[in-house]
Amino acid sequence: MAQRLMLVLFLAPLIAGALSLLVRRSRVSEYATVIAAIIDFVVSILLLREALQHRLTFLHNYILLDNLGAWVILCVSIVYALASIYAVGYMRLLDEDERLPLFYALFSGFAFTMLGACVMNNVGVYWIAIELTTLISTFLVGFEQEAESTEAAWKYIVVVSAGISLALLGTVLFYWGGSYVLGPSYAMTWTALHGSASQVYPPLLTVSFLLVLVGYGTKAGLAPMHTWLPDAHSESPAPVSAMLSGALLNASMLGIARFLGVVHGTSVSKFAHSAVVGFGIFSFVLATLFIVRQTGIKRLMAYSSVEHIGVQALGLGFGGPLGIAGALYHMLNHSLNKSLMFFGAGNAMRAYETKEILKIRHVLKVSPVTGTLWLLGAVGIAGAPPFALFLSEFTILRSGIAGRYRWAAIVFVIFLIVVFISFLAHFRSMYFQAGPEPQVRRMPGAVWRAIPMWLAFVPLLVLGLWWPRVLWNAFMQIYFGLTGGTP
Amino acid sequence: MLNDIVLQVLQVLAVLLLAPLLQGFILKAEERVQRSTGPSLFQPYRDLWKLFHKQPIVPESASWIYFAAPIVAFTAMLIVPILIPVLTDRPLPISDMADMLGGGMVLTLGSFAIMLAGLDSGNVYGGIGSSRSAMLGILAEPILILVLVGISLLAKAMLPFVVNHTLLDKPSVYWSPTHIFLVLAFFSLLLVETDRLPIHSSTHIEIYMIDEARILEYSGPLFALLKWASMMKQFILYTIFCNVFLLPWAMAQRGTALGEVGSVLSLLLKFLVVAISIVVVETIQSRLRFYRYQEPLAAGFLFAVLAIVSSQLI
Amino acid sequence: MFLAHVSSLQASIFSLLAIFSLLLAFVMLGSHWLRNYVYAFAAESWLIAALSAAVAYFGGYKELYVIAVLTALFRGLVLPYLLMGIVRKLNVKREIHAVLQPASSLVIGALLVMFAFVIANHMNFQTGIAGQVVVLALTIMLSMKLLGFLMLAVRDEAVSQILGLLVLENGIFLGSQILVPGMPMLIEIVILFDLLIIVACFGMLIRYLLVHAGTTSSRQLNRLVG
Repeated sequence: MAQRLMLVLFLAPLIAGALSLLVRRSRVSEYATVIAAIIDFVVSILLLREALQHRLTFLHNYILLDNLGAWVILCVSIVYALASIYAVGYMRLLDEDERLPLFYALFSGFAFTMLGACVMNNVGVYWIAIELTTLISTFLVGFEQEAESTEAAWKYIVVVSAGISLALLGTVLFYWGGSYVLGPSYAMTWTALHGSASQVYPPLLTVSFLLVLVGYGTKAGLAPMHTWLPDAHSESPAPVSAMLSGALLNASMLGIARFLGVVHGTSVSKFAHSAVVGFGIFSFVLATLFIVRQTGIKRLMAYSSVEHIGVQALGLGFGGPLGIAGALYHMLNHSLNKSLMFFGAGNAMRAYETKEILKIRHVLKVSPVTGTLWLLGAVGIAGAPPFALFLSEFTILRSGIAGRYRWAAIVFVIFLIVVFISFLAHFRSMYFQAGPEPQVRRMPGAVWRAIPMWLAFVPLLVLGLWWPRVLWNAFMQIYFGLTGGTP
Repeated sequence: MLNDIVLQVLQVLAVLLLAPLLQGFILKAEERVQRSTGPSLFQPYRDLWKLFHKQPIVPESASWIYFAAPIVAFTAMLIVPILIPVLTDRPLPISDMADMLGGGMVLTLGSFAIMLAGLDSGNVYGGIGSSRSAMLGILAEPILILVLVGISLLAKAMLPFVVNHTLLDKPSVYWSPTHIFLVLAFFSLLLVETDRLPIHSSTHIEIYMIDEARILEYSGPLFALLKWASMMKQFILYTIFCNVFLLPWAMAQRGTALGEVGSVLSLLLKFLVVAISIVVVETIQSRLRFYRYQEPLAAGFLFAVLAIVSSQLI
Repeated sequence: MFLAHVSSLQASIFSLLAIFSLLLAFVMLGSHWLRNYVYAFAAESWLIAALSAAVAYFGGYKELYVIAVLTALFRGLVLPYLLMGIVRKLNVKREIHAVLQPASSLVIGALLVMFAFVIANHMNFQTGIAGQVVVLALTIMLSMKLLGFLMLAVRDEAVSQILGLLVLENGIFLGSQILVPGMPMLIEIVILFDLLIIVACFGMLIRYLLVHAGTTSSRQLNRLVG
């Protein structure tokens, strides 16, 4: 049963991509991608249910389906579904009908590699999958073929490739350390590394973990390795930005979470957690400071992504059941909320033909319904109740205040206030400040662009008011899986 | 078996008398490579003879340094052959007066004296030459020290004789990366210190002059002493390069007269090899701009550092 | 364990090959002409392939012969060929060094090698010849990484940045050949092909850069700030 689900999960985007390439008609590729994405979403829910019951491996131990991987697959497929629906409406506005099939093929390929990265059992192959996501998404980032997009794509690929080569070095060093315990040739699975970690020379383990953290942290957007993120996320088309922010960053945080699980229980574990907390709080502070003086609407969203990845890192670093549960819940909520924000930003950009916040005024006049959704999403992403991000951030805060990292939790609270004020100040100026009256135009595909915003908003509200028992149990299971205890 | 003291004197005499021959050979080889006949091999001897018979003309602004500097330089170049293995490969009496670092210091003392001589008379060209040679010294001296440190780490002693024996006995040390890097670093140092291209050109155009500018004010016997001192410096550096670093073979071991003669011949042969390679390197390149002097020296510095690091590795 | 039984002759051969690869990385750092970068990179890849073959011979790992041949072929021939194609398409022959002169970068590179040596010593826990080989491998691996990052940081030209990335990968490959020769072949081959795809993508991107942004020098790619 699970095997068939996995097959469907991976075949759907592959077939959609192949179809787009072979039949060079934009309508066909649009519908194929949407259908594949919805199939993937349904399959991922079923897979999560399967994975929560037993841990499965396929293909000679190369593919692993465990609870953590299934959770990230769920987050990725949600963004894939929402973004592909939005893309239908958005990409029609770009007037690039001949190149659209290529876009959808790359889009599905991107989703395929991200889903693949979540299920890789072999650490080396996980690295290769992450590298492949970089390569495919570069062309998506530079899709619009302007000077800025090409520049953003170039910076993206150079910085991220350099960064994840550090992760490869860390992986090799982990393998080498383990080879003293497990013999010169062994399959480099997560469990194998975890089993040998306690007997590896601690300074070696420290250096390897740091390298892996910096490497995958580059991909995830932790500061100070985040320099590619504002450019790439702001220059790519809005659906791609949503995928990058909502899905790819989560897939990279998966690697960091898994490595934290590998070193759990060794003497390096405390240092590892402190390092993750350090990077997390630094990302949070840096992103907040950049948000205050931001002038571009999509760069604002990109820095908000950096901030939220910092929060996730804080949750993972604080550890404990509350920290991990908060971080995992944050993954889902951030995916939903960030997609909503990028969709709204895409709408605003197309309506006002500009990326600058100064020139966007009176949004409610242009799009009353989706504009309201966007405003509420902004309130949510700044961390206010009754939206879901408040719950996850509050959980993370609770886990932080109680433990050794109280200083980080206090800094977190202070800068949360700063983020709230500055982020909403930007939105206040866009919605309620006097300025030139915009022209209201009917743009095609408005329904396609509105539906995913509703689909993102409603769960955000619901999850903010009610943390389902099912999810809580799932998180507890993941926590015990990562830390090797028994529930 | 000759007396040890005789051997030591022979070493100094060898350096003294054969240095102009080396210079003559290099000049002739440069010209022959460019398909012209070139001066005779013994021309530097004739130049020195001629200079010793000329009347010295002393500038009015000269002080006692003007007279003292050539003598200090000449004497320093006479002291160094006592310390290094020139003909025999076992230490002779008073050759432990100073180790390699001390020998390097005495060598530098000689150059320093010539630098002062250039500044002494207040001549403009002297100032240019001295300042340029000071800058080259700043860039080159650290390399020399690092090379000496590297070779000491390799042989675990600071005496050149011990280094020579280590390289002779153990081929694994000879072919180790440390040794190869040290040879390359010293080669680039050799190019700089003996005033070969790409740093120095042997014409008298003042934009290029470094060495001739310093001794522009001299004439007669003092000029001969200075020229002889720089020729001996070249000979000494070649000796260090060959006998300590690159080709430590074929040196007299027991001190018989025949052995000494053979050692002299093998020395000349080794110098032939090194001199030809220097001439080839010199002919291939053109002179670098002043601001690019740091590049071959940075490469030499790099080699020296890599040598020290790799001596710790394997 | 392969490393536990290595003799001093093998250790000298490994050290010779590894250190000369590092030297070629320095040649890349210190030269002015783009073509010399590519040649030095090709030579370095050949040396690493020779190291792979040496490890295969002395350690008895038959698969490593295949990897050595593939490395020599792909990293030593195909990649430099692709890179020379890119260099020819650009209209720059030599690089203007805006941030750091080649001579200064050589000196900084030497300091980075010393730093890498200190870290490698810290990470090592074996004694004897095996320990020396380990420290050698770790030093060379880390210093080629640091040199690659130095090249990425101070160079403007797109091709130099690609070469910096490739030097990074070369360093990891060199270290992994000595330290973990038993790593499953699948991973090594996939990483090799991955490199090929990366360079192909870079080639395409450089073409886009030339067409849309008008320049490949990152000093002039500064429209996106803040």
